[in-house]
Amino acid sequence: MFILRRVIQAVPILLGVSLIVFGLVHMLPGNPIEMMLPAEAPAEVIARVKADFGFDDPLPTQYLKWLVQALHGNLGTSVYTAQPIAPDLFNALGNTLPLAVLATIIGCGAGIALGLMAAFGRKRWPDKLCLTAATAGVSVPHYWFGMVLVIVFSVLLNWLPAQGKGAEGAFWSLDQLRYMILPAITLSLIPMGTIARVVRATALDVLSREFVDALLAKGLRRGRIVLHVVKNAAPPVAALLGLQIGYLLGGSILVETVFNWPGSGSFLSQAIFRHDIPVLQATILILAAIFVALNLGADIVQALLDPRLRRR
Amino acid sequence: MSDSLSYEVVPKVAVPQAAADTPPYWQTVFRRLRNDWLTLAVGAILVGIVSAAIFAPVLAPYSPYSGSILHRLAPIGTPGHWLGTDETGRDIWTRLLYGGRLSLLAGISPVIIALAIGGSLGVIAGYSGGLANSVIMRATDTLYAFPSVLLAVAICGILGNGLLNSILALAAIFVPPMVRISESVTSQVRVLPFMEAAKASGASDLQIIRHHVISNIVGTILVYATSLFSLSIILASGLSFLGLGVNPPDAEWGLMLNSLRQAIYVQPLVAALPGLLIFITSMCFNLMSDGLRSAMDTRLSE
Amino acid sequence: MRRGMAQTGSASSPAGSGGKRDEAVLRASNLSRRFPVRSGVFGRATDYVRAVEDVSFAAVEGETLAIVGESGCGKSTTGRLLMGLVQPDRGSVQFNGKLVGAPGGIPLKSFRQRVQMVFQDSAGSLNPRLPIVDTIAFGPRVHGVGTVEARTRAEALLSEVGLPPRIFARRYPHELSGGQRQRVNIARALALEPRVIIFDEAVSALDKSVSAQIINLLIKLRSERGLTYIFISHDLAVVEFISDRILVMYLGKVVESGPAADLFSAPWHPYTRALLASRLHADPDRRVREAPTTGDPPNPIHPPPGCRFHPRCSMAEPVCTANEPALQEAGTGSRMVACHAYRAGSGHSMAT
Repeated sequence: MFILRRVIQAVPILLGVSLIVFGLVHMLPGNPIEMMLPAEAPAEVIARVKADFGFDDPLPTQYLKWLVQALHGNLGTSVYTAQPIAPDLFNALGNTLPLAVLATIIGCGAGIALGLMAAFGRKRWPDKLCLTAATAGVSVPHYWFGMVLVIVFSVLLNWLPAQGKGAEGAFWSLDQLRYMILPAITLSLIPMGTIARVVRATALDVLSREFVDALLAKGLRRGRIVLHVVKNAAPPVAALLGLQIGYLLGGSILVETVFNWPGSGSFLSQAIFRHDIPVLQATILILAAIFVALNLGADIVQALLDPRLRRR
Repeated sequence: MSDSLSYEVVPKVAVPQAAADTPPYWQTVFRRLRNDWLTLAVGAILVGIVSAAIFAPVLAPYSPYSGSILHRLAPIGTPGHWLGTDETGRDIWTRLLYGGRLSLLAGISPVIIALAIGGSLGVIAGYSGGLANSVIMRATDTLYAFPSVLLAVAICGILGNGLLNSILALAAIFVPPMVRISESVTSQVRVLPFMEAAKASGASDLQIIRHHVISNIVGTILVYATSLFSLSIILASGLSFLGLGVNPPDAEWGLMLNSLRQAIYVQPLVAALPGLLIFITSMCFNLMSDGLRSAMDTRLSE
Repeated sequence: MRRGMAQTGSASSPAGSGGKRDEAVLRASNLSRRFPVRSGVFGRATDYVRAVEDVSFAAVEGETLAIVGESGCGKSTTGRLLMGLVQPDRGSVQFNGKLVGAPGGIPLKSFRQRVQMVFQDSAGSLNPRLPIVDTIAFGPRVHGVGTVEARTRAEALLSEVGLPPRIFARRYPHELSGGQRQRVNIARALALEPRVIIFDEAVSALDKSVSAQIINLLIKLRSERGLTYIFISHDLAVVEFISDRILVMYLGKVVESGPAADLFSAPWHPYTRALLASRLHADPDRRVREAPTTGDPPNPIHPPPGCRFHPRCSMAEPVCTANEPALQEAGTGSRMVACHAYRAGSGHSMAT
């Protein structure tokens, strides 16, 4: 079946991803050991670290060991904290996930609204306005936009907190939301621009097709037409949704830095600055794997919604 | 910033249909451009920004590195520092001018490098078909499995700081879409009838590519490349913002944005300025690319 | 157009008699080519279109050999096999006795300087981004001629095909009419100074009046340069006018061949007869009253067993389903036919 075929196709990609991650970390200039330990470390410390982390094995062996362990859920141990990586990583992911979801909802909603407005008001001022907004959404550096939001809502108006995640609590609680809203809006710019453009293009395409005129001639009211347009525009948007969430999960590092949000992006950033190679490897692998999985899901959803895509 | 790298709809090659008395293709493109005031205006702004950056030493009243702590974080409109000073007292206007050089360089070079590498790989893949095509495209697909920001950060994080590394990292993430688009248009051109006729003349593959393929794909590929500039500038400054790109005390817009973060409580307007410039530049590139694209779209009626 | 039929005179050049050499300048030997039909998950080839099967013929220098047949009979593929644009599964092409593309024979690139092709799609055959003078000059430049000289040659050729270079040289293909474009394609073919030109339905897409002009141009060029033409067409009127010898193809095989005059006045193979009978005449007294063939159009993936024409043949007998007739000489002159009815001892009731 189609789904099975897509899943099978994803496997070599995942393998390739793991190869690239491993290769990136190990074959680029710079000894991984030197990157982790200070230069003045005595020789026996270096040797011990090497043995501990298995760096004295030949590279292909290291790769296979790492891969097999990862598939069993063991993502290795951090050099910096000497703790297993997996729990901390998934903890951080758990912080980014609600942010990404909220951002996608906001971005999707705004994007669809903008796109529909542009399509239904084509060639007149709503179209130009929404198109400009969508283009702006795509052109604005969102880390800067986050700063601007902080300036407006925290510094000048003092309505919302500027940084951090706030105390523990359910993430849908009002308190948590106060912390989440600004980073979520910032992140939402990314999906908003893309979705607005796609919705606009698809809606324009659908509207220009003849069957819409046929429906109007049959006396169908405007509102129903909108519904029809939405139904036809749904497959590409659905596909995009998955992509966007995955992209936000993987690319949240900039926004998380602005807002000091303890998510996977900050986790990655920390690993980079601590030169914590195992953490770096594991984090990139997991984030990329999630992206591939979401891509796959998006393809499948799109195929389910759009029967034309189900054939080879 | 968007996900346009994985989403991009690949346009069909603009092969003009035979019709009597239509003017040559490029003439039509230029005429459309001349009438498009928005694209022209945006183009003018871009030229202004780039020139200002190039002529920074002439235009800047101060050195970008020197400043007095006594005058730190002066507001906009301070006499002698019309855009204020940063957290160590350096003049913002000067730093913006000099910063433009590095930001623009870091933004434009990766696209050009990716165009050269990715374009060539894509043409080879599209022209050869078969095994070469499969290998190149599968490798490209694997790189596509990474969200672009993640890959850029990862490469930079591993290679280390510095302008060169950030350019390399960004070039690496722009190569896959360039490969994809040039492979696609080359495949479309390859099956056109005149290619067979060229082959029948006894030409070698290289000669055919040089004379017949390039002229037909260059428009589409260039337009796509210009659309990458805006994303590139945002990411390049973003890398410096994270501390992975240009190092202090050099001036660069993203780096300035980072170091001014603490200043938002004191001088919010000054702190926001570098980002505003990134936004304007990126927006201009985007609008210009859109304008070029619609000028070159032969499906639009006059 | 029927003038030229009575003698092999005004419109065609003498074949074999007083010709320069009797040795074949271009020879096809047992050319076969099939194309896979792919389906299924992995795109496996599940079946094959047998486009060309075991086709052999030879063209003598100076003559015009026409290959005719209905759409799908394999004549275009044969043309491409001759040019080397498509590789044969079996068989070979020889130029002046030397194998093309094989070690010890003639290399493909030199072959392509000596044998050129003019295609049916006049617009598609030209790069829309190049001015036509550059398109014409491309061939010589590939073979080492300098840019300036190639351009000069191109401009001379433009005037030779009837397009004054001062007006036309810098024009683009979309600024020309169909007939003008074909002239450019002819000039392009001539630019390499070939000995043989293959025309693949070269005038089929043009208006009748325009195609007549082009045909006259081709005749003029032929006598001026002593060219050999391979003329692939389904238009029998044009073929009758310009050809010396004719090859009739059906479903990938040659079914009859012979001098044009003989073939047109007395066709042997039932398919040839049907083809000629189906020609529409302007003369109302010679209206075609009934369809010459019955039966379904052929399927090149699964051709009928035995003689491929037998489902539509009015003379078909059991032996035709059982055995495939070989192309053999019959009668006098250089006529060959692949039909049991003309082969003694074949078992066909009409065979003598």
